[in-house]
Amino acid sequence: MTETERRTTKRFRMLLRLLPAEFRGDFGPEMEQVFIDQREEAAREGSKMGIWRLWWETAKGIFTTAPREHLSMLRQDSTFALRMMRKNLGFTIAAIIVLGLGIGANTAIFSVVNAVLLKPLPYAHGERLLMLRERLSRSAPAGRNVSVPEMLDYRRQNRSLDAIVEYHNMQFILLGRAEPEQVETGVVSWNFFDVFGAKPLFGRDFAPDDEKDGAPAVLLLSYEFWLRSFGGDPTVVGKVFRMNDKPHTVVGVLPPFPQYPHENDVYMPSSACPFRSSAHMIGNRQMRMLRLFARMKPNVKPTEAEADLSTVAAAMQKEFPNDYPDDAQPGVEATALKSELTHEAKPTMLLLLAAAGFVLLIACANVANLNLARMVRRNRELGVRTAMGASRIRLFRQLLTESSLLALIGGALGLLLADGSLQLLSAYVARFTPRAREVHIDVAVLLFTLAVAFFVSVLTGTAPAVARRENLITTLKEGGSQSTLGFIRGRLRSALIIAQVAVSFLLLIGAGLTVRSLINLQRVDPGFRPENVLTVQFSLDFSRYTTDEKTLAFWDSLLQKVQSVPGVTSVAAAGDFPLDKSPAFSNQFAIEGRQDNPADPKPVAELNVITPEYLNVLGIPLLSGRNFDQHDHPTSPRVALINQSTARRYWPNNEDPVGKRILLANIRDGKTWTQIIGVIGDVHQHGLDSAPTDFIYLPFTQYPQNGPALMARTQGDPMAAARAVVERLYEVDPNQPAGRIQSLEQYRADSIAAPRLTANLLGLFALLALAIAAAGIGGVMALAVSQRTHEIGVRMAIGARPAEIVRMILSQGMGLALVGVIIGVAAAFALTSAVKSFLFGVTPNDPATFLGVAAVLTAATLAACYLPARRAAQVDPLRALRTE
Amino acid sequence: MFHVLLALAGDDLHGYAILKEVELRTAGEVKLSTGTLYGIIKRLLNDGLIIERRERPSAHDDERRRYYRLTPKGREVAAAEAERLEKVVALARSRHLLKRTQPA
Repeated sequence: MTETERRTTKRFRMLLRLLPAEFRGDFGPEMEQVFIDQREEAAREGSKMGIWRLWWETAKGIFTTAPREHLSMLRQDSTFALRMMRKNLGFTIAAIIVLGLGIGANTAIFSVVNAVLLKPLPYAHGERLLMLRERLSRSAPAGRNVSVPEMLDYRRQNRSLDAIVEYHNMQFILLGRAEPEQVETGVVSWNFFDVFGAKPLFGRDFAPDDEKDGAPAVLLLSYEFWLRSFGGDPTVVGKVFRMNDKPHTVVGVLPPFPQYPHENDVYMPSSACPFRSSAHMIGNRQMRMLRLFARMKPNVKPTEAEADLSTVAAAMQKEFPNDYPDDAQPGVEATALKSELTHEAKPTMLLLLAAAGFVLLIACANVANLNLARMVRRNRELGVRTAMGASRIRLFRQLLTESSLLALIGGALGLLLADGSLQLLSAYVARFTPRAREVHIDVAVLLFTLAVAFFVSVLTGTAPAVARRENLITTLKEGGSQSTLGFIRGRLRSALIIAQVAVSFLLLIGAGLTVRSLINLQRVDPGFRPENVLTVQFSLDFSRYTTDEKTLAFWDSLLQKVQSVPGVTSVAAAGDFPLDKSPAFSNQFAIEGRQDNPADPKPVAELNVITPEYLNVLGIPLLSGRNFDQHDHPTSPRVALINQSTARRYWPNNEDPVGKRILLANIRDGKTWTQIIGVIGDVHQHGLDSAPTDFIYLPFTQYPQNGPALMARTQGDPMAAARAVVERLYEVDPNQPAGRIQSLEQYRADSIAAPRLTANLLGLFALLALAIAAAGIGGVMALAVSQRTHEIGVRMAIGARPAEIVRMILSQGMGLALVGVIIGVAAAFALTSAVKSFLFGVTPNDPATFLGVAAVLTAATLAACYLPARRAAQVDPLRALRTE
Repeated sequence: MFHVLLALAGDDLHGYAILKEVELRTAGEVKLSTGTLYGIIKRLLNDGLIIERRERPSAHDDERRRYYRLTPKGREVAAAEAERLEKVVALARSRHLLKRTQPA
């Protein structure tokens, strides 16, 4: 062969690689020969052009032939695969269900991960949006809120931002419809929606003039509120409603988009909010009520914006030293809006994705095992086909086609399952992130499912193909099932079983730990009795209840009327109640007679304002001193109750705080002494998973509130009294709407809903894994028994008793399970720290959980092995010996 | 496909010879590339229209070369196709689409 010929052959062979291997095997050498002949001829003609044209024509021919050949083989393989699947209907159905469940779990979780964590925010330039937090001193955590003058400074002096917009949330009363309605109101800069890139569906956006002082008040409706309260009527634009004692015109309806930080009903420009536009708010640097969002200029990094804004903050402190604490080192933290929106959901989503991935691995191992078992029966068929000239690569392709078909059908089933579960899942993630509404099965999810199905087909298809890498002759000679390769395959099968058990163990541990945390959470004594308590939240219309006298008169008459509602045993009013999400007001205080060490942090406690019946309604014990009573009125000496945690912290060593006096900062003039008159039990105010915090309770009569909650203890179902309570409210003030009405028990259930759902999902995945793995073990043992029928027959013929046979089979299965459990334990020790943040009252290596899970797995394995073991014991030695 | 059958209607040929034969008979109008040719050969083999000849014309022939022969069935198919074409041509002629001076 000449050098040219060699080079030509090499290049031609590369082209040939495009063709199916089988085709290459049949015609490759011949085609080479033909091509060389053609090339020689072209060379003889002596023109370079001719050679180039030959190459071009040849390449074109192969490029058109190759896809056709591949397709025709695929068609052939698929037809054959479908026939094989129909023939083994039991295997096919089992495999499709197992793969469907595995792929379905992954598709469902991925569709959530995709919507929440992967997709860019559905805002224009979402990647440039920031949320700003102000850090007033080096030690203090960054606070969310800033004051109006500070915002104006940041806006004017920054160099890195396109825009800074403000936000705060209020509850106002909307009048002018059939019933007065309490609406969640977002108060924002005029360009707020412009920065977020949301254009109104109908009507117009806010304009700069809307924000000017004294501009006519305008409203934008949120999409959900518009649908809910106006039935999606576009003519609502232009309508006028009364709010805060002045007319408000609806100028537009917002599109559906994730609202952050709150789901509001309506939005108004800052000038329309009576609080925000008051001189006190505009002029005072310390009145921090605004949240700030910002859009960076293109190509600015969040850290650069942070540094830029921190410079502004330092300048502010220099200019207004009286407005900042002495040790101040003000700075600004800028968080990407995306991470702000999703950071709560991220760990849970990733945990669930990992769990779903594990389920899929088990499903794959299981189907691979089923495939292997089937191979034993198909051994002869495949052997014969090999003998008839089918190349190994051809058989491999055939097997892969079969597993791909299975995976694709399983994937379709999984897609259906995922689609069915999506509504439930998005309700679940809504507890973590406002992006839940974006959860859909979209192109990315479909591609993911396809990729998973491909991965599955390779994983389940290659195992049997690898196991076939053995001598063809042995197969034919030994007639199938009991050859030495049976041993190799047996080892592969055992490994797959062990892997399934180990991964199931991991999942069961994860589920066990979260379930135990959930039980712990449910067992937490909240410090109050949530059963049979009705809560009604509302904010009094501040434009009418302008004095303490009016507010108190309202409450007196409402509480009296509600007391007379049948079924209500006691009723109270309070500023906050336990497990409500809104944060309580934190306040500094000083203790009479104590020297302040400036280095120590000042005493701080949260405040709640309550009527005397509050303790009764909630069942909070009075530990010492006395409760508030009718003697505590607006003009009597100021009094307070404290909780046990406050008492222990500031009056340690059993010192009695009752009778001591404190000075509450920022309350009234901040100079009136308040006497502690009693100590009450601790309450888990902010959730069952967080320890009780320090609380000071003040009497409602001395500090009347506009935005409180009414609470009533009832006999029987508290919701049954809801209607009557609201009617009493309208009797007292027909223009005062009730806000949220819910039982306290419901708040308690909601507060653990997220961990409960996490535990449920992990539990579901773990049970799925356990079922698949157990079925896998059972199947393999059954196969082993049928393969060993002869041997068992011999054993019985020479005197083995059935019980011994049962023990032999069981111990074989249990041996596999045991190895799996040991690997699982090791893996769990390595991995469970990942779930630490999800646990409550249980360590990641909780021995009880480990033992329990090991017991469950052992029991499941025993149960799975029992049937095949019993069948083994029933082997008739005579029949068994004749089978050979 | 038809051209390959026609080429084999005379002699048993190997791949390169088929290519040359087709090219020659069509005066260079039909040029098959190797890929196309063997796609066709595979289909003809599968359909039983041609077979591979066992014996080789001479011992020193390149062993990579395989010779193909038209089967009786292949001959029938080729003939049927030729007849069909003849009818089509006759029809075209009766519609005066073809000049008489150029026989099919």
